[in-house]
Amino acid sequence: MKSAIETSGLTKRYRRVTALDNCTISVPEGRISALVGPNGAGKTTLLRLLAGLASPTRGRATVLGGPPREEPAYLAEVGFLAQEIPLYRRLTAEDHIGIGAHLNPRWDGESVRERLAHLRIPLDRPAGTLSGGQRAQLALALTLAKRPRLLLLDEPLAALDPLARQTFLAALAEAAAGGDLTIVLSSHLIADIERTCDHLILLAESQVQLCGDTELLLAQHRILSGPRKDTTAIARAHFIVREDTTPRQTTLLVRLNGPVIDPAWAVDEPNLEEIVLGYMSAGQAGHGAGPAGARLSAVGGDR
Amino acid sequence: MTWVTWRQYRYQGALAAALFAALAVVLLFTGLHAAHVWHSALTGCAKNGTCASLAGSGLSLSSPAFLTLVVATSAVPLLPGLFWGAPMVAGELEAGTHQFAWTQSITRRRWLAVRAGWLLLAAAVLAGAVSAVVTWWSGPDNALNADAFQVNRFDITGIVPAGYAVFAMALGICAGALLRRTLPALAVTLAGFTGLRALTALWLRLHYMTPVTVYYKLTAIFTPAGSYLGISQGWVGPNGQPPVAGPGNYGFGGEPVPAVCEKFMSGLKPNPLPCLMAHGYRGYVTYQPASRFWAFQGIETGIFVVLAAILLAVTFWVLKRRDA
Repeated sequence: MKSAIETSGLTKRYRRVTALDNCTISVPEGRISALVGPNGAGKTTLLRLLAGLASPTRGRATVLGGPPREEPAYLAEVGFLAQEIPLYRRLTAEDHIGIGAHLNPRWDGESVRERLAHLRIPLDRPAGTLSGGQRAQLALALTLAKRPRLLLLDEPLAALDPLARQTFLAALAEAAAGGDLTIVLSSHLIADIERTCDHLILLAESQVQLCGDTELLLAQHRILSGPRKDTTAIARAHFIVREDTTPRQTTLLVRLNGPVIDPAWAVDEPNLEEIVLGYMSAGQAGHGAGPAGARLSAVGGDR
Repeated sequence: MTWVTWRQYRYQGALAAALFAALAVVLLFTGLHAAHVWHSALTGCAKNGTCASLAGSGLSLSSPAFLTLVVATSAVPLLPGLFWGAPMVAGELEAGTHQFAWTQSITRRRWLAVRAGWLLLAAAVLAGAVSAVVTWWSGPDNALNADAFQVNRFDITGIVPAGYAVFAMALGICAGALLRRTLPALAVTLAGFTGLRALTALWLRLHYMTPVTVYYKLTAIFTPAGSYLGISQGWVGPNGQPPVAGPGNYGFGGEPVPAVCEKFMSGLKPNPLPCLMAHGYRGYVTYQPASRFWAFQGIETGIFVVLAAILLAVTFWVLKRRDA
């Protein structure tokens, strides 16, 4: 399958801080990918690099067949919605639609009007007077009106109430249903987007912890629980992502390298959130984040 | 992009046009009044044959308040750079809207070129229009006082205000792109513009072309014709050096009287001039002739426009190289 996004060793350093470190990911075309990770993990940096708003210190990215670049042809293919939901405060929605119409080759201004009418968001009021949720909806509608082939959304749900989140995600799923559109949306909470996304990128501490189709990730991980015992046998056969030990019980999140044979372990299927939290806390505990990141980015299987 | 620029700046543009109209109305009325006073004075002096001494007659063409207003228009070229230029890039960066603008299907280069182009044009037109009115207003005053070449008159008439405005705009845009914050960019624009204007007006302008020096007999003071730009004036001795005051420390007409002629400084009507002339002293005046007015306007405009071009080139470079 063709990749919409392919990066290798992508690194971004700002003076002292490494915002993104050696990021190698692949997102196949047509996926809705959840870019998750704690605050400051490098999600925004990655999205900005892909959008061509920033250039990498090292490494490279291939997006829709070429490097992100400042060219009308490339910019026309990529829709980017920044976390701050940038809109001109004094301009109305209709003004923004006009701006888009003048600056983009394929522009569907009518779709913005329809969406806003449906959401009862006025077209003739300055964007600065709209509510946070209304601004987010307007900004998303404008981003979609570009008819991009890749949509990069940075924390688009943050400004929305739970109901609006559902509508928003439904609209995204609908837009992606054609199969031509690839979406990467970041969030620090996987629970919100678990059902909409079929691909996952997990960043923690500037590094990729996981990247792959959610089905594959679910199939590859298991939760093992049993009485407290030595885990070296499991560690030999599988990769232990996270280990929780109480005096009486041991719970493991493992990435499988085959079936678990030892009957002393109860085997459960984790959900996506449990996997994500497992990797995130493992990274924070400081053991194995680096090598795990390097090894596990290869999990993204189907290249 | 032109449409986009218009959408974002139309209210500011309307405000500027309204302020200009108000200023133009005030200057029109006071200017007509001044022209009327001037022409009746000319008619009057022609009858009496006193036109030669009209300049020193204490004739006033307009009230000091309006003269102050006209001098204050030297700030006009700064304003567009301050209020449109400095926020042009910095304001977008602060509000985050550059992430909207620069992810539309348009390069930053084109975004900057079109927007900066229109703002530069608007600044030049505004300053040029104010200058045109001020130039017309200053006509009688220049004729009366021959001050077209003086600081605060040269700087607000002719084409230089348009050049200043272009420079201020480029400085504001460039400072905003470099500093990424509107307020510091505003401060830099204000300081940079004022500094360069003071430097050119008080020092650099005197040297655009080799000045003319005329020597004259002390008893027949030479005054260059018309609105000349004076650089220095005084006496020189036979050795080419200015006179040095003698032990009596006398002065005559603001110049020191050397020891050899001190004896002519006593009495009711001291007059050391014949003595000084006998000892080879001459008067001199170094100046830029009035005929160079437009050449100087052109040179000074050129300096500011070239500096503006450099600042804009820096801005293009910064936007291209820096992360958005």
